[in-house]
Amino acid sequence: MKAKETLIPKREEPEPTRPAAAASVVGLSKRFGKASVLENISFDVAEGEVLVLLGASGSGKTTILRIIAGLEMPYTGKVILHGRDVTELPARERGVGVIFQSYALFPKMTVEKNIGYGLRIRKRKRKEIRETVNELLSLVQLEEHRKKYPSQLSGGQQQRVAIARTLAYKPEVLLFDEPFGALDTQTRVHLRREIRALLKKVNVPSIFITHDQEEALELGDRVAVLNVGHVEQIGTPFEIYNHPATEYVATFLGAANVLDAVVRQDVVEVGSARLPATLDKEKFHDGDCVKIVFRPEDVQLSRGDLPRSAHARLSSARIEEITFVGAYERLRLRLDAGGADECKTDETPFYLTTETPDRKPSKSIIATRPKPEASATRLQVGEKVVVSLTSFTVLPPKRSKGTN
Amino acid sequence: MRHVRGFDVARPLSIGVLVLMMLPLVFLPLASIFIFGTSNGLDKFWAALTAPEAIFALKLSMVTSFWATVFNVIFGLFAAYVLSRYNFWGRNALIVTISLPTAIPTAVAGFALLLLWGPYGTLGRLLTPHGFQIMFTAWAIILANIFVTFPLAFGVIKPVFDTMSHSLEEASATIGATRWQTFWHVTLPSLRGAIVSGALLTFARAVGEFGSTILVSGNLAGRTQTAPLYIFAKFNEGQIEAANAIAIVLALFSFLIFSVLFFARDWLDVD
Repeated sequence: MKAKETLIPKREEPEPTRPAAAASVVGLSKRFGKASVLENISFDVAEGEVLVLLGASGSGKTTILRIIAGLEMPYTGKVILHGRDVTELPARERGVGVIFQSYALFPKMTVEKNIGYGLRIRKRKRKEIRETVNELLSLVQLEEHRKKYPSQLSGGQQQRVAIARTLAYKPEVLLFDEPFGALDTQTRVHLRREIRALLKKVNVPSIFITHDQEEALELGDRVAVLNVGHVEQIGTPFEIYNHPATEYVATFLGAANVLDAVVRQDVVEVGSARLPATLDKEKFHDGDCVKIVFRPEDVQLSRGDLPRSAHARLSSARIEEITFVGAYERLRLRLDAGGADECKTDETPFYLTTETPDRKPSKSIIATRPKPEASATRLQVGEKVVVSLTSFTVLPPKRSKGTN
Repeated sequence: MRHVRGFDVARPLSIGVLVLMMLPLVFLPLASIFIFGTSNGLDKFWAALTAPEAIFALKLSMVTSFWATVFNVIFGLFAAYVLSRYNFWGRNALIVTISLPTAIPTAVAGFALLLLWGPYGTLGRLLTPHGFQIMFTAWAIILANIFVTFPLAFGVIKPVFDTMSHSLEEASATIGATRWQTFWHVTLPSLRGAIVSGALLTFARAVGEFGSTILVSGNLAGRTQTAPLYIFAKFNEGQIEAANAIAIVLALFSFLIFSVLFFARDWLDVD
């Protein structure tokens, strides 16, 4: 179950009805020698769905992909493709399509030979091969390049050949191994839109791996965030960005502010501020030390002492830095309000800082303001403002196993 | 003073020194073969070349070298595949052992083969009573050629294997190919250049082999005498023209092989 916490004001969030799994992994674990690289990984992908495995290097995402492809054996767990347990099958009997980071096109074969390879080794009739190759060439728009060798194509064209080559034998699932890693930023953005459109056309379940959070949010119908061999959270891009389940997810997906807080019935206390929150009684108890997470764009700044509209007032703060970043303005603010005294587990405690800012560490947060707002109300460095939050997420407290 | 009015003196100077050094070492000896070989007239040269024993020696050299090459290319390919794709205990020891024949004097190689297969050798002693005689036959020449050219094809093919992206073979496997299909359709085409180079090197080296051949073949004219042995024998008999004619053929032959190696390199590696 996904952890669903508070956010203010409540945003409407569609709950998609998910069709049956086309590909799933169940309880995968993997060890290299004594080092455990994967722990109890489970997820599934629906027909036509794009799942992105997002993680830093060393998170185990490549190993998961290789296990699904049959290029590596799991220590425990199963790989199921369209209801068939393929865990024990070699790569060639699984019918998966892998798009390698380097594309791995066969250098001595032309584009059409590359695409037809899967059918040739399956001993299909020449006519059938020719027809399929023609169809795929037009699907990936490479008709005029059919006689070329991979080395004569651009990175994007090579990638399309690689995809067409796997589509030729109607793969059970498509696996993309950091497919945009080797390309420059502009080409990447262009290509991932192109690929997303292509995937929606062919309706094959796909799994991407990437370390690029922007790419993950844009490409994925759902995103699984991996951290040192386990899944931190799986959800739609909206869910994982707006309701991160863990601090890791919150900070890995773009900028996030994290503050210590204490649970008090229907509010969370952050210093002297009391933010209204509807919390799941199963997960949160009175007096729990928790963390609240909010994005820079969730921060509202105002000059007066009154918080704007219904937004939760957090604290007053002093502006330390203002940076102009094109579409918006980024501000670094040092909060004045005191922190939760009984929750001083954090390395950077959150104390009262007004009088002696130099001796007592306090928390700084990042806020962004869109251009219209930034030009309507100009703010200066050193100015005092009131900080309120339009939205935040309360992370569940860490408990040792056994105690709830 | 390296530069005289913008002219780099070092360039023509070093090229000149290089050519001068090669002159007595390589160019002049080779030139002498041609000068001497044809000094008594072309008809004498032709007669020496077409003598039945000479023809036989050339043919024997080509045939034995051919089979040694076939064996060593296939073996080299296999050895390179195993040693570059699998990591196992003793792998480096095997690599060193394969490369060893390069460093062993060819006479020692021939001697070692005699001690194994000869009538009184470790294995030969058991086989000879059954009418199984390898030494002093064409088989012995092939065996000696295999021994001395053993690491050549392997040495050319293995680096290509090592640098070949493993993901090509993995891609082929995920597409549905068996190991054999992958090897045939994906791996082998990428090795084409290395295989041809390895084969030419092996063949050239085998045709020129002398030290081991003279020991294991018995040097019987018209039966087990290869071209280099023929040159040596005729020279000893004082028939310089006969030796010279074959020497010219062998020199031209190696020149041809290395030209192919040099100029075909681009062709072999493209597309």
